[in-house]
Amino acid sequence: MGYIIIQLVLMVGLAPLINGIIKKVKAFSQKRKGAPILQMYYDIGKLLKKEMVVSETSSWIYKAAPYVVFGSTAAAALLVPAVTNAGGLNAAFSGGDVLVLLYTLALGRFFLMLAGLDTGSTFGGMGSSREGMISSLMEPSILIGLFTLGLASGSLSIKMIMSESLSKVCPIADPVYIIIFFVLVIVLLAETCRIPVDDPATHLELTMVHEAMILEYSGRQLALMELAAAVKQLILMTLIVNIFFPITAVLPAGVPGVAIMIILYIVRIVLLAVVIGVVEVCIVKLRFFSIPNLAALSFILAIIGFVNYFVIGR
Amino acid sequence: MTTYMDIISIFILITSFALVASKKITSYIKAFRIQSALLAMALAVMGYFHFVESGRIDTLVLCALIIALKVVYFPKLLNKTYDRVEHKVEKDFFMNIPMLILLCSGIVIFVYFIISGIGSFGNEDVTMQVVNMVSVVLIGVFFMITRKKAIGQIVGFLVVENGIFGAVMFGAEGMPLIVDIGIFIDLITGILIMGLMVFKINDLFDSINTNKLRRLKG
Amino acid sequence: MSLSDNEFIFTLSILLLLAGAIAAIVFSRKHKAANIISNCFCIGASALGAVSVIRHLLDGGGIKQVFTFTSNIPLIEISLRYDNLSSYFLLILFVLTFAVSIYSIGYISHYYGKRAVGVFNFLYCSFILSMMMVMLAGNLITFFIAWELMSVTSYFLVVFEHEKSENVKAGTVYIIMTHLGAAFIMAALMIMYALTGESMIIGSNGLFADIPEAFKNLCFIFFILGFGTKAGIIPFHIWLPKAHPAASSNISALMSGFMIKTAIYGILRFTLGCFGVSEVWWGTTILVLGIIAAVLGVAYALMEHNIKRLLAYHSIENIGIIFIGLGIGFLALSKGNSFVAGIAIAAALFHTMNHALFKGGLFLGAGSIQYSTNTKDIEQLGGLIKKMPLTAIFMLCFSLAISAIVPFNGFVSEWLTYQSIFAFLSEGSLGMDLIIILSAAALAFAGALAAVCFVKLFGISFLGLPRSESAKAAKEVPVTMLSGMGILAALCLAFGLFPRLVLKVIAAVTSEIAGLSLLENISNSTIPICSGISIGNNRMSMAALLVVIVVLVVAAIIGVRLTGGKGRSRGFGTWDCGFVEINERMQYTATGFSKPIRIVFRLLYRPYRKLTVKGEIPEYFPDKMEYKVGTVSIFEKYIYDVIIRWLQRFSRRVKYTVQTGSIHMYLSYILVTVIALMLYGRLF
Repeated sequence: MGYIIIQLVLMVGLAPLINGIIKKVKAFSQKRKGAPILQMYYDIGKLLKKEMVVSETSSWIYKAAPYVVFGSTAAAALLVPAVTNAGGLNAAFSGGDVLVLLYTLALGRFFLMLAGLDTGSTFGGMGSSREGMISSLMEPSILIGLFTLGLASGSLSIKMIMSESLSKVCPIADPVYIIIFFVLVIVLLAETCRIPVDDPATHLELTMVHEAMILEYSGRQLALMELAAAVKQLILMTLIVNIFFPITAVLPAGVPGVAIMIILYIVRIVLLAVVIGVVEVCIVKLRFFSIPNLAALSFILAIIGFVNYFVIGR
Repeated sequence: MTTYMDIISIFILITSFALVASKKITSYIKAFRIQSALLAMALAVMGYFHFVESGRIDTLVLCALIIALKVVYFPKLLNKTYDRVEHKVEKDFFMNIPMLILLCSGIVIFVYFIISGIGSFGNEDVTMQVVNMVSVVLIGVFFMITRKKAIGQIVGFLVVENGIFGAVMFGAEGMPLIVDIGIFIDLITGILIMGLMVFKINDLFDSINTNKLRRLKG
Repeated sequence: MSLSDNEFIFTLSILLLLAGAIAAIVFSRKHKAANIISNCFCIGASALGAVSVIRHLLDGGGIKQVFTFTSNIPLIEISLRYDNLSSYFLLILFVLTFAVSIYSIGYISHYYGKRAVGVFNFLYCSFILSMMMVMLAGNLITFFIAWELMSVTSYFLVVFEHEKSENVKAGTVYIIMTHLGAAFIMAALMIMYALTGESMIIGSNGLFADIPEAFKNLCFIFFILGFGTKAGIIPFHIWLPKAHPAASSNISALMSGFMIKTAIYGILRFTLGCFGVSEVWWGTTILVLGIIAAVLGVAYALMEHNIKRLLAYHSIENIGIIFIGLGIGFLALSKGNSFVAGIAIAAALFHTMNHALFKGGLFLGAGSIQYSTNTKDIEQLGGLIKKMPLTAIFMLCFSLAISAIVPFNGFVSEWLTYQSIFAFLSEGSLGMDLIIILSAAALAFAGALAAVCFVKLFGISFLGLPRSESAKAAKEVPVTMLSGMGILAALCLAFGLFPRLVLKVIAAVTSEIAGLSLLENISNSTIPICSGISIGNNRMSMAALLVVIVVLVVAAIIGVRLTGGKGRSRGFGTWDCGFVEINERMQYTATGFSKPIRIVFRLLYRPYRKLTVKGEIPEYFPDKMEYKVGTVSIFEKYIYDVIIRWLQRFSRRVKYTVQTGSIHMYLSYILVTVIALMLYGRLF
């Protein structure tokens, strides 16, 4: 129980930091000073206290959506153990496996898309429609990717996949893992509305996806929505760092071991965030109807990874 | 008995040839009447033997029915219909008569070829009669094909019926009375309806030439 | 003979249905009485029937005889009996009928005084009865009679509103397709009888298993063609999206919820039950058909804006998902892997139940929308959530369930299917890994697209501003209709949270049809009250997850309250970019919503747009402009249209050469036939 609370606090508490780091990296590359790393915490704090403007067209779906989105994303966060070593895996919540994770995130997305349509604004509908297209194009590759990892570790359970990684000397050197790594990175960029797919920094109706859906939100509802998006991003990043870059050193169980693991986890996540920032700086946004090509790329990579598993992985 | 029957069946076959060879409507109605009378005669002979042997009278009843219907009533009905609709004389058949007769002879030979091969009649004596009667059936159909006027088709149909009835009678000494009566009732209804249809066709096309029915096709 | 006697209750439920049919005719003068009495009989019958089959299944099952009629003429023998497989499908039927009949009491009221309600209810009862008979058919002849009866009664129900020409057309397509399918089924049944002389299909003596392989394969192909047509497998699906919008909604619910499932029953009964699975390609065929149906079904659904046609395409998708489960099961059986086969077939059976619940509910919801707004076009709707709040909640539940989103039942059966795929793959290389993993990808893709599609359906029709006068004037539907939907929605949630309740029942079926034990493989004693399933190391517990989500939502509410204080909020219009106030015409439409997908998959959809300008000089002074967008069904264009054109050409040739209209010609055909037959008799 105590572990679950640590996990929850860690995931929700760390999530806004990632956005700050990525923005800082981008600012640095542009020779700007940029906003403080903790800017998103300030934003959320401010938003929580602000008055909400609620569209008169909207219904209870609009009001419930932020809570459902946040609740389901946070529940999904519980399914992905951040601390894998020092007995962390055994203590993690086991309400489901990879599939439950995907479909719990889908619950949040469903309400997010409904909320976009609820206000009767064109922006919301546009965002929902685009989000629907991107997420459904990405779904097959994420599933095959995770299935292949599951096959390699004999179970679809996230804990088992992570403990299989722990037992390898260097999982990323495995050809199957390296291919699936690229798949998951593409999925991460697409699902969290990062640059080749969507630009989180703009509010231009021609490009925005996630921002368009939550355009009407304000105040605490907006805070929850933003936080949920950040948590979702952190979930995918946690999957990547804990599966592909695990800490294999044996650590003592108990408080010191867990504390060391948490620190190591944060370090790895921050490093990944820096990498994502660099990637965002280096590439440009794709035309919307080129996204299927990206999805096809990730799907084919996933299939190749799967075939690789059967050819050499076993 | 077989000899009488053979002779009568041959006469029936000959009447059907006469039917095919006749040019005018009145003449083939006459041929049909004679054929039915011959059939009745065969029935009468058979009925007499039945009556003498086992005291059954159903065959005689049937004979009376045939005389009443096929010898008297149907020809009269057909003649009356013809009087009321037909005004002009025109060629009634597709082929010339010698050709028709030749083809009919072909049919008889063909039927003989078929029936002789079956050979499963309990009584070898009746083979000849059955051959004649089945030939009558086929000639009846053939007759229907070659005539243009609707009355020709009705007569042909009646001849087919005669043939089937004769085949059963000669081959198996008749069916149960109740079945025969059923068939006759069917026949009466059929003929009445066909008679009505002739008027209808006449109204519609100013002729009873069934060739014109082509126009009804969608 | 008491109420504790299962067979007695069962017989009673059949009699009640018959009574319902008769009552509908007897009271046909009084519409209201006919409707209420007949539906009450149906409710009673389905409640009794459900109790009886549940008890039967939990008692361990076996074969029970309901009715027999024998005669001296060989093959003319009616035998009604049920075993576990039939009982399970009957259970689905009864549950669905129970809810739909309650719904019908209110729904049919819009027919009062306008249509022959008595006739409708008579057909309704007979339709249920005929579907029951299909499940109960103990021998080949009874099965075929029942099958045809079901087709005919449903045909009459489809064309019930016969004054609309498109309904008649839909009915014609339906009856043609269904009879083509029936022809294949009949051929297969005749082969089976001819080779064995055996006619019992429930509790057969195992004689069918001795049929030579070649004939088994032939029969299998015929069954797939025949039952596939009923199930709406692509490319035999074209009748489904036409017939469902034509039928009234309670009938659509029954047709989509149960009638198309009789095909699943047929495939299981005849292939697994009678033949046993022997060939690997059987499973592969079913799997490939399932993948195609799942993906294309949902893809076509996305382009539809008629609610009922959209739902009909989703039926195709869900049949595809069921077929994927069946295909994996058949493959596993042919490889002798009973562990995987048990899970896969259980998943297929579970999804059959789930689809009946949520698709039945969705059709009822569509009926409610039509009842209060008089339209099926979602582009005309909007804002219904405020006018019909309860209907909206139920529709949301069904939408989540069909999109396989936690914690509803649709997710559980898809999860089981994924598990069977995973377990099968981890067994080792089978030469078909790529197809199997593609089926997993297809499931994921179909699930994601289904979610998009139902966001569209729910979002456009229930949220936003009303797009037409009739949507503005909508009112909540009567309480009977609401309770019909409510029962189904509650069951969707309950079966999602406590799936082991259903799996306990399914275990009796899988152990019967293939000797597969299920419960040992999936039980999980550590998670309480039937909520969790664990297969190998993979675990799932929707109840636990729901508790976590609820706790987190409550925590979020409390947390927000603590940090931000009591929230202040202000109502205001939707942001209009500083221009005039936005109106309902500026909202996103369903067409626009699905446009990205239409463009991405343009190869499949063949979208077209047409702009017609009318006016004296249309280039400069247009009076009226018409803009039309649409998609072209490639199956209709490249398969059915080609066949129809060929058929027409052939018929025209027949008309001019064979069917000339000349009596003499026809008479010569008779003569020639007689002569040919005589020759045949002589020579052979």
